[in-house]
Amino acid sequence: MVIPVSRSSRGSRPTIEGPGFLARADLQVLFDLLREDGRQLIGPTVADGAIIYDDITSVDQLPRGWGDEQSPGRYRLRRRGDERLFGYVVGPTAWKKWTFPALIPLTHSTHDGHKVSFEPEQATPPKLAFLGARACELAALGVQDRVLIGTEFIDPDYMVRRANVFVVAVQCTTSASTCFCTSMGTGPEVTDGFDLSLTELDAGFLVDSGTPAGRAVLERLPLRPASAAEQYGVAATVAAVRARIGDPVPTDGIHDRLLAQLDHPRWAQVAERCITCGNCTLACPTCFCTTLTQTTDLTGKNAVASRSWDSCFSPGFAKVAGGSFRARPRDRYRQWLTHKFATWWDQFGTSGCVGCGRCITWCPVGIDVRDELNAIAPPVPLSPESRLVEPVAATPNEFVTARVVNTKAETADTTTLTLTGVDPAFSHGSTGQFAMVALPGFPPLPISISRFLTDGIELTIRGAGPATRAMCALQVGDQVGLRGPLGNNWPLDRAVGRDLVIVTGGIGLAPLRPVLHAIVADRRRFGDVKLFYGARTPADLIYRDELERWGKRDGIDVSLTVDRAGPDWSGRVGIVTHLFDQAAWDGSNMIAFVCGPERMMQATSTTLAGRGVSASRIHVTLERHMECGIGLCGHCQMGKYFVCRDGPVFSIAQLGDTFGREGI
Amino acid sequence: MAHAPVAARPRVGVVKFASCDGCQLTLLDLEDELLSVVEHFDIVDFPEATSARSAGPYDVLFVEGSVSEPAHLERIVELRRRTRFLVTIGACATAGGIQALRNWGDHDAFRRGVYSNPEWVASLARSTPVSEHVTVDAELRGCPIDPGQLVELLTALTTGRRPQLRDEAVCMECKRSGVVCVMVSKGIPCLGQVTQTGCGAICPRFGRGCYGCFGPREQANAAGLTRHLQMAGDRPREEIGRLFAGFTAYSEPFRSMVTELGGARTGRGTTTTAAEPAPRGGKA
Repeated sequence: MVIPVSRSSRGSRPTIEGPGFLARADLQVLFDLLREDGRQLIGPTVADGAIIYDDITSVDQLPRGWGDEQSPGRYRLRRRGDERLFGYVVGPTAWKKWTFPALIPLTHSTHDGHKVSFEPEQATPPKLAFLGARACELAALGVQDRVLIGTEFIDPDYMVRRANVFVVAVQCTTSASTCFCTSMGTGPEVTDGFDLSLTELDAGFLVDSGTPAGRAVLERLPLRPASAAEQYGVAATVAAVRARIGDPVPTDGIHDRLLAQLDHPRWAQVAERCITCGNCTLACPTCFCTTLTQTTDLTGKNAVASRSWDSCFSPGFAKVAGGSFRARPRDRYRQWLTHKFATWWDQFGTSGCVGCGRCITWCPVGIDVRDELNAIAPPVPLSPESRLVEPVAATPNEFVTARVVNTKAETADTTTLTLTGVDPAFSHGSTGQFAMVALPGFPPLPISISRFLTDGIELTIRGAGPATRAMCALQVGDQVGLRGPLGNNWPLDRAVGRDLVIVTGGIGLAPLRPVLHAIVADRRRFGDVKLFYGARTPADLIYRDELERWGKRDGIDVSLTVDRAGPDWSGRVGIVTHLFDQAAWDGSNMIAFVCGPERMMQATSTTLAGRGVSASRIHVTLERHMECGIGLCGHCQMGKYFVCRDGPVFSIAQLGDTFGREGI
Repeated sequence: MAHAPVAARPRVGVVKFASCDGCQLTLLDLEDELLSVVEHFDIVDFPEATSARSAGPYDVLFVEGSVSEPAHLERIVELRRRTRFLVTIGACATAGGIQALRNWGDHDAFRRGVYSNPEWVASLARSTPVSEHVTVDAELRGCPIDPGQLVELLTALTTGRRPQLRDEAVCMECKRSGVVCVMVSKGIPCLGQVTQTGCGAICPRFGRGCYGCFGPREQANAAGLTRHLQMAGDRPREEIGRLFAGFTAYSEPFRSMVTELGGARTGRGTTTTAAEPAPRGGKA
């Protein structure tokens, strides 16, 4: 890259258009320039076993040669073995200490006889320069700008303090194990929100400006143009930092993922570890909650209201006369995490987290917010993907074709067809979705996809009428018409970290078979998985090979029953709901997927509810007359839903009264 | 809690039970405010400061010390009867004090070990907080109490407002004042997380861990802290038990930790392990 250099009209020093190079020995010039401007310098320095931010006046106070080691609940200084001044990562101090102080007086009031008066405190903050703000910290200042002065009502104290700050950013050339700016989209590259930026090299700094005020300072520094090699070196170093941090918290869709897990059992588990001390919130550079404190003198006539940092973890934070709205520690942990990563978006259009890692390092008991997020709101996708793909041939008048490459007779009347040559959309369908399947002259029928393959799907069809019998009779090489994948899916993401029970009978196992495939592919993410499956006779059990494999090899607890046994059956006899009723299981952390006749699903739901599984955690898949599959033909209406479009998978909570009611 | 001034010029008494007098001296140490305090409060009984005596009634009574002798049992009830607003001050009065460590040991063995004529010593088997015997209107925690909190209570009493004695962790005070966490940065075990604030985080300010003299805060997760210290710090159980076995050891949940982990030393230098404290006496 060529750095254009032009002559300044004011003197002989070259005006550098791009980044310039400042020798380390000349950094004091920057200090002096900022102080000449009447600014108090705040920057990094070593104190009390950490690199904190404090008043500094000289380069000699910077943490020359110091680095740090950080992990959950642990911070240690270490010698780097070089002369770097900024070779550390963010420490315990956040810049909000100066823009949003921990304690400020707000109002002075007096009470004299019948007369009261209130006098607001006017802040007259000093002009400051922040030296060494990292990318995540610039983002944090931006977040507090949004919260405190970015909406209709502003915080006047913050406004005057913030306006008085000149920001010298420093790009990160190293990272800590607690960093996750990459996931939050805030770093490590410094991109905006600064007046001047520095990137440290072995012998000095690359200096660039981000504002006219920054440019004015830059032009007074003893710079030479940065070489292309220096610029490349900086870019490569920061890129290496990015690579080292990786992407510890996949944040795609985290707002919805987290808010869908308000009753996740992990909240209670983390609350056993959490001391609710509030360190995370006060170390956080964006947390802005405060409390008012009133003090009076002994005459009772003069009072001062002060504002100080508060924490949603303190028991008194949500207290009213009758008690606290968030009485349990788990409520408070949930409030904090969901606010940071979800509801902050709703309130302020930004994440409340910038990925600086302070809440991880400075948690005295080492709770790692990244682990909690990944456990409570695990990243999608599971396999197969739980996000729904665009269907092909969505409109009822078009079909794509697929070719039968295998047929397998599951029972006397039920056949599994393996189809290939299908549109890739089908392979990316999700558990519980269906296809509209057509043969010329027959009405298209909704058939659950019973297996997703990389280049095809399987359909398991019971020959119950002319169209299904025609499908069951297809031979290898025959073609069929398909539309889909249609409908919604089993909420597998909600099952992660929970016990899952699947209750089904007969061909009802077909739409649940992909669920079992997904679990087996990623077994450790689920708790106990139980399958209760019944059929009329042993010969009516489908997927017999797989049932055996799931039970013996894949860690699924498979329980089978038949209505009528033959001489070769040594297992249980009876209907599946009885089998399920009598089994020993604990519903406290359970989610249930149920498929069968509606009466059977209703009985199963009642049993589940009786053992503490809430209606929002019981999911059923419904069968209705469907012709279009996309909510246009009107046949599959059930209450306020079109089963094809809004289902076929519903929670009992969604269905409410309509579930199991005759004639709906 | 009072919501109107207790009285125009409240009659104040300061009395003590089993204690070292350090907390009541905090009142005398309020050098800047002392004259104003005397102007607004009628100090009728305060043996450390004046020879004047009063049998009450008191508008405000500051009670220092734990209930530790048989005679204390009747005296505290009688004082309560003569008091409108009773404030316990210090770790002894609010938690039983350091002398409550005997609650885990053998009372008679202590007496025989320390005194040549143990029969002359009238003491109870357990040292207990005042609140175990009578209703307490406000508590000032600490060993000793914090002068700022004392002034806050006095000024609140003159205006009838609720004194702002925060129930939050000492950590909050550390963070607000920029003290670097000693547990995270130096690996020093610290009870600040489970201890009620009010001291101004004195110990962490000087680079040492909090030893909990203000006592457990509301919903203190002492078990969680213990698990962390055991796992992350690889510390023996008894060492962790000793952390809790300080000035406020007899307050729950510190009490359960001391009982469970051991750490309350007996008179002979041995350590009680999982012994239950002596049985509770009835509330007067």
